[in-house]
Amino acid sequence: MALLGRSGSGKSTLLNLLGGLDRPSRGSIRVSGTELAEMSKRELSLYRRTTVGFIFQSFNLVTSLRAWENVSLPLIFQGIGRFERKKRAHELLERVGLDKRAGHMPSEMSGGEQQRVAIARALVNDPKLMLCDEPTGNLDTATSDQIMQILAESHRGGTTLVMVTHDPELAEKHTQRTLRMADGQFVAEVPA
Amino acid sequence: MKGILGLAFEGLLRKKGRNLLTMSGVLIGVFALTMIVSLGEGLAHAVTDTVSGQDNLRQVGVTGGFGIELSNDPFSVTIEGEMDDARRDRLRRAAVNRRQIRQWYGRRVTQINEETMGELAKIPHVDSISPVIVERYELKVGEFESDPKLSFGVDVANHRYDNRIIAGSYFSAPDAGEVILHEYLLYKWGLIDSDDYSKVLGKKITLKSIVNEQDAQPAAPPQMQGFLESLTPEEREAAMKLLPKLMGMAQQTRKPVEREFTVVGVMRETQPGDALNIIEDGQSVQADVFLPLETARAMFEESAVNAQLGYPAAVVIVDSPDNAPEVEQAVRDKGFTGFSVASVLKQVETMLTVITVIIAFLTGIALIVSTLGIVNTMITSVLERTREIGIFKAVGATNGQVMAVFLTESAMIGLIGGLMGLGIAVLAMIPGDAIGGAMIAERAAIPYQGNVFVLPLWLAIAGPALGAVTAVLAAIIPARRAARIDPVKALRHD
Repeated sequence: MALLGRSGSGKSTLLNLLGGLDRPSRGSIRVSGTELAEMSKRELSLYRRTTVGFIFQSFNLVTSLRAWENVSLPLIFQGIGRFERKKRAHELLERVGLDKRAGHMPSEMSGGEQQRVAIARALVNDPKLMLCDEPTGNLDTATSDQIMQILAESHRGGTTLVMVTHDPELAEKHTQRTLRMADGQFVAEVPA
Repeated sequence: MKGILGLAFEGLLRKKGRNLLTMSGVLIGVFALTMIVSLGEGLAHAVTDTVSGQDNLRQVGVTGGFGIELSNDPFSVTIEGEMDDARRDRLRRAAVNRRQIRQWYGRRVTQINEETMGELAKIPHVDSISPVIVERYELKVGEFESDPKLSFGVDVANHRYDNRIIAGSYFSAPDAGEVILHEYLLYKWGLIDSDDYSKVLGKKITLKSIVNEQDAQPAAPPQMQGFLESLTPEEREAAMKLLPKLMGMAQQTRKPVEREFTVVGVMRETQPGDALNIIEDGQSVQADVFLPLETARAMFEESAVNAQLGYPAAVVIVDSPDNAPEVEQAVRDKGFTGFSVASVLKQVETMLTVITVIIAFLTGIALIVSTLGIVNTMITSVLERTREIGIFKAVGATNGQVMAVFLTESAMIGLIGGLMGLGIAVLAMIPGDAIGGAMIAERAAIPYQGNVFVLPLWLAIAGPALGAVTAVLAAIIPARRAARIDPVKALRHD
């Protein structure tokens, strides 16, 4: 599913709310039957850890960690041992076609590669929900397609994808549903 | 937790220079603390080690006293009768003042003689008591006569002296008429080369007690002296029977005691490594002539003055060091002056501990200053890593885990700094021991061979641990700040 809309229309806020990074000042958010609005900070952390994967426009990799270490970061907070972390990170890097770059630092990688590392990181905990905030916003068209294919693949694997984008074409081409937002409201379902 | 340790370590490596500087604060604090406490420990060991051999702690030195150990505290005196408080107070003071005056005259109320030693031996926990005999004698070898020299009675069974014989032999028996001379005496007599010792061994030497003018006077007053002289031998005999005590006193003239001995050995001066006996060595340190204790005692008692005044001192051996203070008190209660190494040692150790603790607290200021450095470093680190903290949170880190990363990082700064401080302290103790040892050797009367700095195991652990704990405490506020960072704001792209 894609969310279209101008800046300030509330797309990112919705994403943050869905991902449990933010809490609503009022109202309720239910994700697969779970009420997020009533969760404590700690419960939200655990929810993010087990259910959600984030992908950002600016990748948000930890620049001082290697590719595989970035991928395994969520596992650190799950208390998984180093050996297991390394194994899982390599599996996921392989899925995004970067197994050979596992030991590289983010600064040594192209934007597309960095975003693939970020996707691997988002997928490492088998999330039910992938939240992508302009995942291809900083990338050229060819790389964007590549990224979208990887995301589509994980979608086929059973993960729900919610993507914020400015690009109606991208939304139309790769997503099942597209919603348009303005002033914090859904205004239209695009292929009406 | 292991992963968080890795993250913290990685954070540490990222700003090596800054973190090293921060660590050096902890390093200096822990270094100074380790040095000071080790020095205190070393000095305490120096005192204890020097003193605790040779049953020092089981000994109580006794000298004649000025009466019951008197307190100058007016409230320890009981004034009986019905009266107002002011008068009671005045009388109390008066009593105390009179006690002080009694001391002022310096009249010994208690003496150490056979009778009182028997009494002292009956104090519970006392194993044995023996007099310390230090006397001046004029020495005569052939025609040669020397100034009075100090002699000391040696318990022949005590092998501390045996080891110090450098020529000739030790006493063969307690009553074989043998003396041993000190090497310094022989040196002063002109036996400069070591080969010269053979010249004195086997020579006869006469010890003659000193009688000063006053002593040479007959003990009886002149009137009685005249009376005695007017008596016929028969009358005198009768008088002896009727008034034995009085006559004995009247007849006493103080003649010098004189005895001939054979020089059998040469005793060297004490040196580092010799077993030390504080009380005995304190008395014998100036002795030039060594006699078996029994012989020294017999000669001492021959002198009428001595028989009247008693022994200058005695040593009581207590069954266990734990009971020494109790026996010391009992000796005082009997009116003697008591002195035990154990109680002095306790005082010295308490004093050393107090001094060490005070200085250690002052040193702790260095650690407090280093804490400020850590707070500063950690706050900077948190600010720099805001986005990273946002990422941590996005991938599921709880606030506690974020805090743990920074607390761990800070703990590492403290621990590594502390370990470096400990390491440098251990290295610095090598020259420190040499310098301190030389200083002690220069000033102390008693040679000491051990280390000046002693690093106890607990300190080796507590020093770095204190560094780590301080650092963790310093990081609490920055770490909480990190945990409270709003991930949405942190991750908002610019």
